[in-house]
Amino acid sequence: STMRVLLLFTLLLLCHAKPYKPIKIMELMKIHEIMQQDDRDDGDDDDDDEDDDFDDFEANFISDCPFGCTCSRRVVQCSDLGLTSVPRDIPADTLMIDLQNNDITEIKENDFKGLTNLYALFLVNNRISKIHPKAFQNMEKLQLLYLSYNLLTQIPENLPRNILELRIHDNKISRIQKEAFKGMQSLHVLEISANPIANSGIELGAFDDMATLYLRIAEAKLTAVPKDLPSSLTELHLDYNKIGKVEVEDFIRYKNLLRLGLGFNQIKFVENGTLASIPKIREIHLDNNKLKKVPPGLNTLKYLRVVYLHANSITHVGVNEFCPTKTKAKKTLYTGISLFANPVKYWEIQPPTFRCVSGHRAVQLANFRRK
Amino acid sequence: MRLACLTLLLVSVCWALPFRQSVFLDFMMDDEPGSALPEPLPPSTRRPPKIPKGPGAPEIPEFTDIPLGPVCPFRCQCHLRVVQCSDLGMKNVPEDIPVDATLLDLQNNKISEIRENDFKGLKGLHALILVNNKITIIHAKAFAPLVSLQRLYLSKNLLKDIPANMPKSLQELRIHENQISKIRKATFAGMAHVIVMELGSNPLTSSGVDGGAFADLKRVSYIRIADTNITAIPKGLPSSLSELHLDGNKITKVTADSLKGLKNLAKLGLSHNEISVVENGSLAMVPHLRELHLDSNALTAVPPGLPEHKYIQVIYLHSNKIAAVGTEDFCPPSYNTKKAMYSGISLFSNPVPYWEVQPITFRCVFDRSAIQLGNYRKK
Repeated sequence: STMRVLLLFTLLLLCHAKPYKPIKIMELMKIHEIMQQDDRDDGDDDDDDEDDDFDDFEANFISDCPFGCTCSRRVVQCSDLGLTSVPRDIPADTLMIDLQNNDITEIKENDFKGLTNLYALFLVNNRISKIHPKAFQNMEKLQLLYLSYNLLTQIPENLPRNILELRIHDNKISRIQKEAFKGMQSLHVLEISANPIANSGIELGAFDDMATLYLRIAEAKLTAVPKDLPSSLTELHLDYNKIGKVEVEDFIRYKNLLRLGLGFNQIKFVENGTLASIPKIREIHLDNNKLKKVPPGLNTLKYLRVVYLHANSITHVGVNEFCPTKTKAKKTLYTGISLFANPVKYWEIQPPTFRCVSGHRAVQLANFRRK
Repeated sequence: MRLACLTLLLVSVCWALPFRQSVFLDFMMDDEPGSALPEPLPPSTRRPPKIPKGPGAPEIPEFTDIPLGPVCPFRCQCHLRVVQCSDLGMKNVPEDIPVDATLLDLQNNKISEIRENDFKGLKGLHALILVNNKITIIHAKAFAPLVSLQRLYLSKNLLKDIPANMPKSLQELRIHENQISKIRKATFAGMAHVIVMELGSNPLTSSGVDGGAFADLKRVSYIRIADTNITAIPKGLPSSLSELHLDGNKITKVTADSLKGLKNLAKLGLSHNEISVVENGSLAMVPHLRELHLDSNALTAVPPGLPEHKYIQVIYLHSNKIAAVGTEDFCPPSYNTKKAMYSGISLFSNPVPYWEVQPITFRCVFDRSAIQLGNYRKK
């Protein structure tokens, strides 16, 4: 089932958590087995002739699944029901609840009370503007929390500490308060794009002590690369912001970066020496900016394979901008370089410019974009 | 385990996507025209590229090539076999989806079309989530590679038709909130594994639903067709059905015929319709019904057949036009008749004054608090 696979996802994410905290592997295996069982959704279907006994009445009295939801194998699927609040009668042993695409406006204190086994909670696309500070209490096992497409104005208080993935895409959050993620050392994936976050909205220390690997703050109001993000990051995506330039100190903290997305900003230049801070980088997207030249230092990045520079204002490409010059220098071959939609004329670029590229198809040069 | 996971993470995170291009004006071309994306060579056969020597070319350094790991589209996260690409503003299904993916989450993007080769080679995919895009067209062969697909979520798109040629392996289909007005007899042909079907919030009409359209769904246990324009309960629903949700439609009456054969039905939702009559004998057609929602309709009387029904425990009748409730409307005449105790009866927001309902009417109710009588809703 979907949820089973999501559970697997959880499991895998937990693998990532391993360097940071021990995991209860037996418990996880048990969960995994539950999810691996037969997919047949027969959770409700316990009406057989044994029910004729009066003794069973009391057992039947307890509602097994909220009306309109489907409950199977500890996964409660209540999406698309027009619900205006979290349904009662969610079975206490539930592992996952899908409440997306409803009209829920508020998460109340006791909405998830007693659901101490919950691993994943999906509240995407509701109208949630309020979450009670105690609503997520005692959710020690929660790993995935999806709150995207709601009306939240701040990162909810008292988030469960052991979350691995938090998605709050497209809300109304303008400020990331200090200690918003306090104690959440396991949070490895954080997606808070499409919120009106400016650089000044990120309070000092908001990301302290975190070990996040993937962070995306796209479609926000950033005018510079934030400097206080977790230093553990391997992927940082800041596309569709208003970043005007990239400076030497921008990436000093982010030495582990493997992928960097800065497309669709207003970047005019990348300061000399900036890229030396991220020696492990594999892929850089700087397309759809205002660059006048190829960012300096690409030819020193040993592992760089893909660099997007299309749709900029680059007028000249030098023969050594991409590939190292020293005889002994080692460099992974590029698999993708894009330069189309720039003023530079392709016939003015010398062929050896791309001497460290794996096959000529890896270079996109023409001045128009393929359809 | 730890090492493997870390390695995988690294590999998935650092994998770079190769380019595809069809228009390419290049000077170092020795290309076959019309060739598509180059197949990456296996690591062992990889060779450094042929490097054209131009004037002023520096000495050629030594280049290494890291063996290729699994691919992950940029900005997506690929954790082993789950490919998470939601909320990225993508206009197309990305290329380079790892072929061993089991779950592909593409929800909340701007995809308008599913092309023939978008899912090529994804034969291990179990779940495909395309919710909240702008899909109007799905190529007739697009799902053909998905031989293992169990869950297909297409809700919140702009589809005018239920896609043709869905995988026969499908167990759950959600096409909530699209522009679907018709369900043809062939639509679900051969889909014998479907268990859950959600078709709500579409502009369906009763005349647009072919008779027997659902007949091939031999294992289906849950069907929801809420918030559409249908005026009657669809006929010929499979007998495997245990839940049927038809709330928010324009259904005017419940006929015995429409419920014929639904011997496994346990939950029936008919709230927010225009039902004025429940025909005699209707409830006898659904002997295992436990929960019946008939609130917000135009009923003038308690539906017939409740005292004889053995299993109904919850019945919602609030917000109707019921003017009188008799002592024999809910419970059998004597205590000794086998009848599941009610755990919920709602009668509020009806013209009947609660003081005219005799307490003995509810002699087979589990608990007093199970009855909501007053003209206000219990909080």
